[in-house]
Amino acid sequence: MRLLQVSLRSSLLYSLVVVLISIPVSLLSLHKILNDEVDELLAAHTAEFLKHIKTFDYLEDLETDLEVFDQLAYDIDIKPSDGRETGASHYETVSSYDSVAHERRPFRELSSQVIIKEKPYVLTLRMSLVDNDQLMYAIGLVQFALIVLLAGGLLLLNRALSKKLWEPFYKTLSQLKAFQVDKSGTIAVVKTNIIEFNDLNQTVSHLADRNRKVFLHQKEFIENASHELQTPLAVFQAKLDLLMQKPGMSEAEAALITDLEATAQRMARLNKNLLLLSKIDNEQFTGKEEVEVSKLADDLLSNITFTADVENVPISRSLEPLHIHANKALIEILLTNLFHNAVRHTPEGSVQVQLRERTLTVTNNGKPLIMDTKKMFDRFTKESPKTSSTGLGLAIVKRICDTCGYGLSYRYEHGRHVFSVTFH
Amino acid sequence: MKILIIEDEKDLQNSMLQFLRQESYICEVAGSQEEADEKIMLYDYDCILLDINLPDGNGLNILKRIKEANKPEGIIIITARDSLDDRVEGLNLGADDYLTKPFHLSELNARVSAVIRRKQFGGSNKLKFHEIVVDLPGKAVTVNDRVVELTRKEYDLLIFLLANKNRVVSKNAIAEHLSGDHAEMLDKFDFLYSHMKNLKRKLAEAGSEDYIKTIYGLGYKFST
Repeated sequence: MRLLQVSLRSSLLYSLVVVLISIPVSLLSLHKILNDEVDELLAAHTAEFLKHIKTFDYLEDLETDLEVFDQLAYDIDIKPSDGRETGASHYETVSSYDSVAHERRPFRELSSQVIIKEKPYVLTLRMSLVDNDQLMYAIGLVQFALIVLLAGGLLLLNRALSKKLWEPFYKTLSQLKAFQVDKSGTIAVVKTNIIEFNDLNQTVSHLADRNRKVFLHQKEFIENASHELQTPLAVFQAKLDLLMQKPGMSEAEAALITDLEATAQRMARLNKNLLLLSKIDNEQFTGKEEVEVSKLADDLLSNITFTADVENVPISRSLEPLHIHANKALIEILLTNLFHNAVRHTPEGSVQVQLRERTLTVTNNGKPLIMDTKKMFDRFTKESPKTSSTGLGLAIVKRICDTCGYGLSYRYEHGRHVFSVTFH
Repeated sequence: MKILIIEDEKDLQNSMLQFLRQESYICEVAGSQEEADEKIMLYDYDCILLDINLPDGNGLNILKRIKEANKPEGIIIITARDSLDDRVEGLNLGADDYLTKPFHLSELNARVSAVIRRKQFGGSNKLKFHEIVVDLPGKAVTVNDRVVELTRKEYDLLIFLLANKNRVVSKNAIAEHLSGDHAEMLDKFDFLYSHMKNLKRKLAEAGSEDYIKTIYGLGYKFST
């Protein structure tokens, strides 16, 4: 549910309740006010009537006149009282037949005990309440219209607002979604009039910038560190070469130097691969050209075959021509690492390389893996304890595939490890 | 033969100097661009080892100036940056070879002698060691004028050993020289032993003396 819908729902519910409560309240209070007004009028008219009657006190047959008047006057009754009624006057609402409108209508009556010429009378004045009812009907209608307008208006307003008002928010959101710390491209701040959105945008772009800066520093550090290590490694290697020339060395001493040399070589390889990895990360392989993958694979395999033969690993190949637009050095590294990996992890058996339908498949015989295959492309994940392996070869393969958008998969079937790269 | 080593790292400079001096090379060193430019202007060298990362700038500038002055020196670029761009740029600018740190001194020595021989003898370049004669452009080996049929790897091995004669060359250095980057696939030196055995046998069959000495636990030495 959208934020605006939640707030709209609450405000709509509240206004509905208020309007619904206000209908009976206003009707009742209006009813009361109007009744009071009518009552006041009736009281005033009664007083006026009695005052006028006083001026006719001199008439001999006032009694008869009053009888006639009672018959003639439409909304005034004056009847002789039998004296049983109590002296207080009282109001009441009655429904009686209206001879003018030919229907029963509500009336308000004021009955009071009066003494005219020492004789008790009951004076009743009445007023029609029809107008009041119509008024209340009209008010009810207006209230209803108000509800409809309020609800409809709020809904329409919400719709328009949610599109317009939240536009910068959704823009920022989509930029955040697309944001990748290892890719260039900053979060462009959209200027709005809303303080909260401006705040959010500034915070987001600040955060993104800082993240990228930290990330770049990190990447730079790895590259610099690997780079700086090359020279001391070279010095170390050179000193070993000099030490080797020392005459009269014992076999044990010589073995020690050989071990040191192998270690130095391993360090150099590790360092080289780390440097390579950070170079791929830093996108330093930019130049693209037309690469014939099958030709490249063929050349590389020919170079490797000599070394692979030494390890008794025959390599068979079936390559269909495939032209792609890519950085040649990267593709070369990708292929070399896959081939090396296959040869190195084949204790007995063969390596097969196949290129068909834009997919390069490298398979080799081997035992199933003990490690989690999901982790096999992580850095420094090694299955074999072989010291010559740096644990970075497949991580580099993965990185290259990620950067170039190639599909990379691994599966184990029929006693063979199968790596496939799909060149999209 | 005069060699100029342009390298700012003193330790490495000394090691290279010490190793190359055992050959009949006269070596000089320069630790900065300025120093290097001065020496190149004053003297002629047969080979210049050029470190690209110098404290006062990119070594490729020195290479440009040498080529602009049409000097005949053979140049080997040495760099800690294993960047393809540098390699391509260096070779395009006219460098003869390229070496990435870290490297074996025996490898450096082999490259230096290859560059010098190419520069000095051009087309009729022959490498002689007693009765063994190698015709470098033709890649043909003869012992007492008898042709020895060698495979490519055996030939490479012989050249490498000859370039480092009277030195101990480690198995690691040979393995790396023969298989380059692919050496990391190998765990043992079995292939090396078999190539060495074949080379020795073929040379002996052709009537050569056994010059390849095994230094136990370490490697080999080509000497009388």
